[in-house]
Order: sequence, then structure tokens, then C-alpha cells
Amino acid sequence: MTDTQQPNPSEMAEVTQARPHRTLLNDAWIRLRRNRLAVAGAIIILIFALGAIFAPLITKYNFAKQDLDSIFLQPSGVHWLGTDELGRDVFARMLYGARTSLAVGIFTQLIVLLIGLPIGAFAGSKGGRVDNLLMRFVDIMYGFPDILLIILLSAVLRGTVFGNMGGGIFVIFLAIGLVAWVNVSRLVRGQILSLKQRDFVTAARAMGGKGTYITMRHLLPNSLGPIIVSITFGVPRAIFTEAALSYIGIGVKPPTPSWGAMIHDGYNVMFTAPHLVIVPAVAIALIMLAFTFLGDGLRDALDPRSRR
Amino acid sequence: MGKYVIRRLLWMVLVLFVVAFVTFCLMHLVPGGPWDRDKALPQTVVDNLNRKYGLDQPFLIQFKNYIFNAVRGDLGVSYIYQDRSVTSIIMGGFPVSATLGLVAFLIAILVGVPLGIAAAIKQNSFVDYFAVIFATIFASMPNFVLGILLMIIFSVTLHWFPTSGWGSIRQIIMPAFALAALPAAYMARISRASMLDVTRQDYIRTARAKGLTERVVLVRHILRNAMIPVITIAGPELAGLVTGSFIVESLFSVPGIGRLFVQSVSQRDYGLIMGTVLFYAFAIAIINLVVDILYGMIDPRIRYD
Amino acid sequence: MVKHNDGLKVSRRDFLKTAGALGLLAAAGSSIPLGIFSTGCSKSNAPAGAQELSVNLAGEPAQIDPNRASWAAERSVISQVFEGLLGFDKTLTVIPVVAKELPTVANKGISSDGKTYTFNLKNNVTWSDGTKVMAKDFAYSIVRMLDPDLATEYASFYYPIAGAEAYNGAGTKTAAEKAALKAAVGVKATGDYTLQVTLGDAYPVFLQLMSLWPVYPVREDVITAQGDKWTEAGNYIGNGPFILTEWVHQDHMTFAQNPKYWGTKPKLTKITYKMITDANAALAAYKNGELDMSGVPVGTEKATMGDASLSPEIVRNADLTTFAFQFNVHVAPYDNLNLRKAISTAVDRASFVDKVRGGVGKVALSWIPPGMPGYDATLGTEYSFDVTKAKALLATALTELKLADASKLALKFQFSDTASNKTIAQFLQGQMKDNLNIDLTLEPMESKAFTQTVNSAKHTWAWFGWGADYPDPDNWLPQLFGTGAGNNHTTYSNPAFDAICKTAGKELDNTKRLQEWADAQKMVIADAPIVTMFYRERFNLVKPYFKGLTPTGMDGQIMGDQFWTNVTIEK
Repeated sequence: MTDTQQPNPSEMAEVTQARPHRTLLNDAWIRLRRNRLAVAGAIIILIFALGAIFAPLITKYNFAKQDLDSIFLQPSGVHWLGTDELGRDVFARMLYGARTSLAVGIFTQLIVLLIGLPIGAFAGSKGGRVDNLLMRFVDIMYGFPDILLIILLSAVLRGTVFGNMGGGIFVIFLAIGLVAWVNVSRLVRGQILSLKQRDFVTAARAMGGKGTYITMRHLLPNSLGPIIVSITFGVPRAIFTEAALSYIGIGVKPPTPSWGAMIHDGYNVMFTAPHLVIVPAVAIALIMLAFTFLGDGLRDALDPRSRR
Repeated sequence: MGKYVIRRLLWMVLVLFVVAFVTFCLMHLVPGGPWDRDKALPQTVVDNLNRKYGLDQPFLIQFKNYIFNAVRGDLGVSYIYQDRSVTSIIMGGFPVSATLGLVAFLIAILVGVPLGIAAAIKQNSFVDYFAVIFATIFASMPNFVLGILLMIIFSVTLHWFPTSGWGSIRQIIMPAFALAALPAAYMARISRASMLDVTRQDYIRTARAKGLTERVVLVRHILRNAMIPVITIAGPELAGLVTGSFIVESLFSVPGIGRLFVQSVSQRDYGLIMGTVLFYAFAIAIINLVVDILYGMIDPRIRYD
Repeated sequence: MVKHNDGLKVSRRDFLKTAGALGLLAAAGSSIPLGIFSTGCSKSNAPAGAQELSVNLAGEPAQIDPNRASWAAERSVISQVFEGLLGFDKTLTVIPVVAKELPTVANKGISSDGKTYTFNLKNNVTWSDGTKVMAKDFAYSIVRMLDPDLATEYASFYYPIAGAEAYNGAGTKTAAEKAALKAAVGVKATGDYTLQVTLGDAYPVFLQLMSLWPVYPVREDVITAQGDKWTEAGNYIGNGPFILTEWVHQDHMTFAQNPKYWGTKPKLTKITYKMITDANAALAAYKNGELDMSGVPVGTEKATMGDASLSPEIVRNADLTTFAFQFNVHVAPYDNLNLRKAISTAVDRASFVDKVRGGVGKVALSWIPPGMPGYDATLGTEYSFDVTKAKALLATALTELKLADASKLALKFQFSDTASNKTIAQFLQGQMKDNLNIDLTLEPMESKAFTQTVNSAKHTWAWFGWGADYPDPDNWLPQLFGTGAGNNHTTYSNPAFDAICKTAGKELDNTKRLQEWADAQKMVIADAPIVTMFYRERFNLVKPYFKGLTPTGMDGQIMGDQFWTNVTIEK
């Protein structure tokens, strides 16, 4: 095993070393598959995703069909997860709601990663004026309450080419993602500020490593843990934000369900029809748990030091 | 360091100005104004109100007037609570939110960080799994659901605490826990992840190889370095907590500024929107500055040029 | 989570200040532990026998200056501390309060042309600091309420007073001009205990206006000395049965008996108004003995009725509030009468009230609610739920609109952001789909954005409610359906209707006047600019020891808040 962290010349040569041809990603994939919890996480996500895609094949109920004679029914053989305030089947709404909520949870966090990671890494590794400018911009972003910015962005984005993509849902991904990246970027920056003074980085630099190379190769992999946690927590947060937005006319419109909106709608009757809150809350918790397992596995898999 | 702080404070003025301007534009651009009532007000009445609040002036003049007054410490009057100044409303609500927020923050830190550290030390143990479940539950349960459950259990069933109000320690406990749950979960997960990252670093191995005791390694090397991400997220979390939470304050009828902000936005209370947003931005900027200074104290190698 | 009683759009007075923008944050309503947790025994801090009441104001009142107040929560406060010349009894009949008697033509209180009103005051009414309430206090109050610089929201209600509109509209004039217009307002204290009010034209409902809070007396010396601080506890000098002893902003208000009250002293020695905005939390507070009365979260009414321990504590009261869907009748295809009629006939109101709203409220086929003059039970029966008839009407409408089928209609419906509005909107969507096979697009909006859209007539079809300011058709027809009227959001325009409004507004013969308003309402219902849905009903839980609760159809934020003087606590 070659430990990439060793400040010795062999490190630089590692890439060209004659050893079984395996890329970093290839390696990581193999390790990920061996991690049982990570696999379980992936399976949970897959089940929800398949359920969302093939919802019409799984349930005979239409998520919008009202039955005023069957309002607030408890779970039963007929309605597996009961019915809601308009007599609609909760299982069907949970399945179809996954389409919105899973997509929002996953895509917003992708956007967060794609923006927050490079900006944070750039600010942290460059330091000085660049860091100061970027971080003051982040201060401004932080200065506004999130929801205000998201509403503003959605309004702006709706006028652009993204406006009609996926029936407006794309705007939601972008608006939430464009606001949430600041958290990740500050986290990455803090990590890199701290790591870049470490001996191994100094050594790598002394040996002529380029800034970008050092960042990608040494700084980022060593700060992945907290970033992955932050992304994992971003998933339920995005799901709830979407619900807040759908209430003010941005994003998916009723009767299209989403998990966050289901919880909010169910809150009134939480003690008289608890299944209306429990079902979507458990769905969100399962998805978050799945991402936690997968994230932990991914972090371990990508860890350069555990490479064999 | 002194020079750095002064420069950051100067930057803060700029940040606040930008936040003020954007918010000012935004609130005037958003559809609906403070006098759009369900029962429409007659034009004469609207004109009188506009004149009273200076809304009959051109937009930039309004902004200029606002800034000039704000610099002199006058944040104007509220449009909803017409007899009260924005300053007195914020000064009435902030101590309440700050007290609640600090208690919640302490709970989050004192529960979250040790739990995360324990989970990292005993990876894949019962503690570790407990921490994962704890974090998942509190991150996926909205705090209004958690809050009302606390209320049903501790007020209605056990009669330990009153459901609402403010002023006694018994009234702080439930809202503080409702507020602390998510940050505690987040802190626990972040500190665990960070601990694991640091533990695998070579200098830790080196330290161990040098024969240092596990305790010294843990305290002097691991903990110190693992706290960087915790501090990074603790800053905004603290700012968020002390500036109040709309949901928790509304649920437990806590007279803080969290619910004032949301009310001000939904009622288009221009005076209170500007006041609360600026106050929030100020708190965030100060806390982020403190975080950056703390980085330097924890890790002397971090330098700001 | 916002305060959302019902979240429905109602009159200024009745409307709940819903925190809209962050809607969702808000959207959560509330609820109780029916069945899941036992309620245990309620505890109360008050010793047995104490005459102390604790109720929920559900939010901070905006401000409690009677001249400027316009919200339900503010009225809940003002009604305790102030009394007007006139007032409403529990049947909503106008009665003299500070006035000795009701002015009539017979007792020379009203001139024969109906333009001059003379009020004789009782001479034993005192302020809470012991000084006498005199005619000058009322004159000061009414003129102050019209001050353009004070910018009060109910000023326009009093434009029938001679010179009132000119003075209130004089905001841009010079100080001298303002002073002249102020002096010209037709309100004069002609003696220590005589107030004379001159109207520009006869206005038969004027006595009802004189019963409302904007013209309750206020103290010039206190307001001059204290400025904006005069509404704080201690400065807030009134002439009502209670005084405000404490106002902890955003937290609670406390009232005590007014030791100088001129009338019969109330039994209650202390009233606490809490400001719990969340319905679930309010119910928990009720169950924990912190509140003596509370609403239940929307949607839990039926479960509450089925709960053995709670059902005996339910008190319901019909409100003078009507909810309806309003069309913008100048926008195609909503300008088609047969389409509007088809839609109105295709909505199953009975199912809505009985099932979706848990049986709370009453099906509304016409506009003016029962419990006040103008209600007509026979009106609107042609809109009773009938799918066959609705389909026939729709077919006619499609022919007239030259549309091939219902899918070409592209109907859109706007509503503001609350959970209960969302349920209503989806119910309507389901009815349109199931009964007429029309696909209705729902357009939820943030609450102020929605209000602006409706106020500027940019909506197509929207949900709204109207609550009585005073119990007369005068408050229910011209303001809403008169051409160009301020609250006419249907853009309805009917010259015949407008003509009736003109004559009925000043008709001094009451029988004739009500007949004219009845005709006017018939026109509106026949033209179907609105689909009336239900008359609101308050649904509260009241502790068994809470006796003498006296609800009316026009209460403030809290049910029964106009008559706390009748209440006793019998523990």
C-alpha cells in the first residue's frame, strides 16, 4: 500500500507506478460494495426511486382522487397507509410524493456540492484577497434569511430557460441549491485553511506540486467527512424547504404531493389522524438514514489512506 | 490581528449596506404592500398611510432617508405595531431570543459534541449507532412536530412545564430542547466525521508512534484539530439560534424576534423587515468574524494576510 | 406556524393576520391528543372561587387605539376598556350605552330629514381616572379619527358625516386649510352632555356606525401628553368595565376591574389574554388548564365531537361571516353566466360542510348570512347540488363560448397559502373534475401577493370571505357588488343594482329599505358572480366552570369577548 500522505518522493511517482491498474474511483467502488451499511443505504434509495418511477404499477389509487366518504381512514387492507383529509390514499401520495421529494433532496445537494466545494476549496487554498472577497460574498448570502433568498431566486429563475424545465421543479432545485452551497463552502474553506499548513502539504508544495493538484489530491480527500455529513443533513432540509415553497405558489402545485407538504398538511390533525404525519416523516427519515450510510461508506471508500 | 479585525469590521459596513439595499429593493418589488388588506382600504386612506410612512417619496429618496436615519440609530416605526419603534421591538424581543438561543446552543454543543466524539472513538459500537439514529430522527422531524410532542408529554400528560409564555426557567426548557434537537444532531454527526478524519491523519500516527499516551493524543492532537468544522458550523448555528426561530417561538408563544421577522415579511411591515434583516446580518457577520478569529486561536498556523 | 384560525380570507375586522410569506413555516395548524394521551386533570394557578379568566387572543394586537384599530384582536381589547355612545346587545340590536337613549325622530334625537343626530349623554359616566366622560371627548375622538395625518383605516366608514371626507382627504393641504376643514366637520359638542352630528345626506344605518369602536371616546389630554405611548398599560385611560393593567408585548395582557366604572361591576376580577398562535399549542394549553377556552385545529372537529371527555365542553356559535368563491366576471370565460351557474350547481356544498369541514358551519346558497336582516332562506335554491342540471348548463355555456369541450376552458383558481385553503382548493378541483370533467389549475399564492392580485382584479377565480362590520345589508351589498366599489373584486357591474343601492342607502322607511336590499341581493344571486359556500361557525372548547359565556355573531378574536361582563367562574 502506498500511503499518499507520506512526504516522500514516492508519492509523486505513485500515479505512474507499475502496479495493478486501478484508478482511485475504481478502488473506491470496490470498497464501497464491500460496505454492508452503504449497500443497504443504496438499496433503500433504489427502492424509493423505483417506487416513485413505477408508482402507477404499484398502487391502483390515483394520488389526486378524492373520496369524501372515506376521510381520515386509519391504515387498513384497503388503504395500506390510510386516507387523508379529502379521502385520498396516503400510500399513493407517499409514492408519488417521492418523485418530488427525492428529486429535490438529491438534486439540490448535487448543486450544493458542485458550487460549494470548488468555491470553498478555492477560497481556502488561495487565501488572501480571493478568500476575503469570496467570504464577504458568503457573508452577504448569510446575511439574508434563507427563505427570502430562495423566493427571490425562484422569481428570477422562472424568467430564464430553467423556468419550465420539469414543470417548474428545476427552479426549485436551483433556488435551494444556489442558497445552500454557502454552508458547504465555508466548511470546505475552514478545513482547507487548517490542512494546508500541515507538513505533508508543505512537503508536497516544496516538491513542486501545483495548487490545484494539492487541493484535489490532499486537501479535499482529507476533509470529506464533515462535508458528507453536511450534504446528508441538506437532504431533509431541502425537502422541507420545497414544502414551504409549494405553499407560496412556487414549485409543485396541489394536488401533486410532496413529503414535506404532507407533514405540514397533516400537522393540524396530528393527534386525530397521526398516520398523516408519521408516513411522510418515516419516509424522510429512511431516506436520510440511507444517505447517512451511503455517505459514511463513500467517505471510507474515498479515503486515500485506506487504499489497498 | 488588530488590523485584520478592523478591516473585517469595515467590510461589515459594506456587507450591511448591500444587505440593506437588496432587502429594500426586494420588499418593494415583491407583490403586495403593507396596505393590501383583505378588505380593501379606500384610496384616500391608503394615501394618508403612504404619506404618514413616507411611501409617497421616490424609491431612492426613501432608501436614502432610511439609511441616514439608521446611521443615527433610528430604525423607524413598525407598520404593523404602529405605536412602537422598530428599535424598541427588536430590543424587546432580542434578549428573549438570545437567551433561548444560547440555552439551546449550549444544549446542542453539550449533547452533540460529546456524543459525536464518543461515536468516533467507539466506531460501529452501540454508541455510534445510537448517535446515527438520534441524528436521523431529529433531522427528519420538523421542530413543530417535535415541539408539540414535547408539549403533550411534558405539559398535558406530566404537568411538568407550562405550555407557553416566557419568564421562568420552566418556560425555557421545552422550547430550548425543541430548538436544540437539530443542531445537536448535526454537531454530533459533524464532530464524529471530523474526528475520524483527523484520527486517520499521519501526524496522529506519528504522535502515537512517539509513545504519547492515548489521552494526550486525543486531547492535544485529535480534539483540537477535529474542532475546526464544528466551529465552522457552530458560528452560523449560533447566529441562527440567538436571532430566534419562527416555528419554536410561535409554538411556545415565546415573545422573541424570530416570529417578528416572519410576521413582518408576511405583513409587509417594511420598517420591521429592514430592522430584523439588518440585525440578523449584523449578528451573522460578527459571529463569522469571531469564528475566523477562533480558527486562528485553535490552529495558530492559520494566518490571514 | 402561523396564526390561522381558519386561514380563510375574511373582513378586515375578522381577518387573522396570517403570516403568509413564509407560509409554510406557518402552515402548521394544530391539534390535540385525542385518544393518544389521556388528558389528566387540569390544573389552574388560580385559587378556588377566584373570578379569573384566561383566554387566548392568538397574537399581539397591532395597536389598541380605538380610532385606529381595524383588526379582530384589537377589538377584543378595546371592548373591555371603552364604551361608546351606543353599542350592540347580545342579539346585535343597537342600544344606548353612554347615551341616555337611542336618538329617534320621535324623541327629537334625529331630525326629520334624517341628517342631524343629537345624542344626550348620561352624566354619571366616568373615565377610569375618575373624571367625567363628556360630549367633548366624543367630539374629539370622531374628529381625530378623521385626521388625515393619523391615517386611520376605518375613516371612510364615517364619510357620511358632513365634511368628513374632505377633511380626511386633505393630507396634502396646508396646515391652515386642514384646520379649516377640521372645523367644518359636522361633529359638535353643543353642551357638556350633548353631542350633535350632522350628516351630508340621510344615512339610516348611522346609529349602527355610532356603535362601533372607531368612535368610542378617547382622552385628548392623555393622548397629547403621552403621544404614541398612550396605549401602554397605565396610560390607557378608558370608560369601560375593565382596565388594562399589564401588556407584555408578544406575550400576554392582563385586565382588572375598573374601580371607577359607572355601571354594574363585572364579576371577573382578572382577565388574562394569552397570545398563543398555534392551534395545537392552544389546545394543549387548554388541556393543561392554562386556558379556560380554546379552539381546536381545523380538521379535528369531528374527532373532538366523538371524544367522550371533550364533547361536553364544545360550544358552537354562528358567525356573521360568509365564505364564497368569486369570479372575475370581466375575464373570459368567467364572463359567461351559464358557465358560472353550471359551476355553482356542480359544487356539492353539503358534502363540503359535513365531510371536509367536519360539520362545522352552515351551507350557504345566498350571500347575507342568517342572524341578521337581509338573510333570505329561499334565495339561491336553484344552485342546489345537481350534476345533471350543471352538465346541461355547461353544455349551453360551451356552445355560447364556441368551445368544443370542457378541456378548452383552462380554468384557473387562486388562493392564499394556508393549509385549510389548500384543502378547499383541492376540494373544488375534485368537484370540477368529478362533476363537470373540467381540469382546474390551482394557483396557490403568498397571502399578500394574493390580496394584491385580487384587489387589483388580476385574479380569475378566488376564495374569499366577508364578515359583518355591522349587521345590516348596507355592509354586505354596495361595498361588494356596486360598480367600482372598493371591495368589488368580482368586477360585477349592474346598473339596476347600482340604482337600488343609491336609494336604499338613504331610505328612511326601514321596511321599504330592507325590501330594496332584498331585491338587490336577488339580482346578485341571479347573476352568480360568486359561488357562496358556507356561513362560518365558531367551534370552541369551554371549561365547565366557565359560566355566562355570551357569544354573538360579531365577536372579536375571542368568542364571547363582547360580554365578559356576564361571565363568572364557578369552580
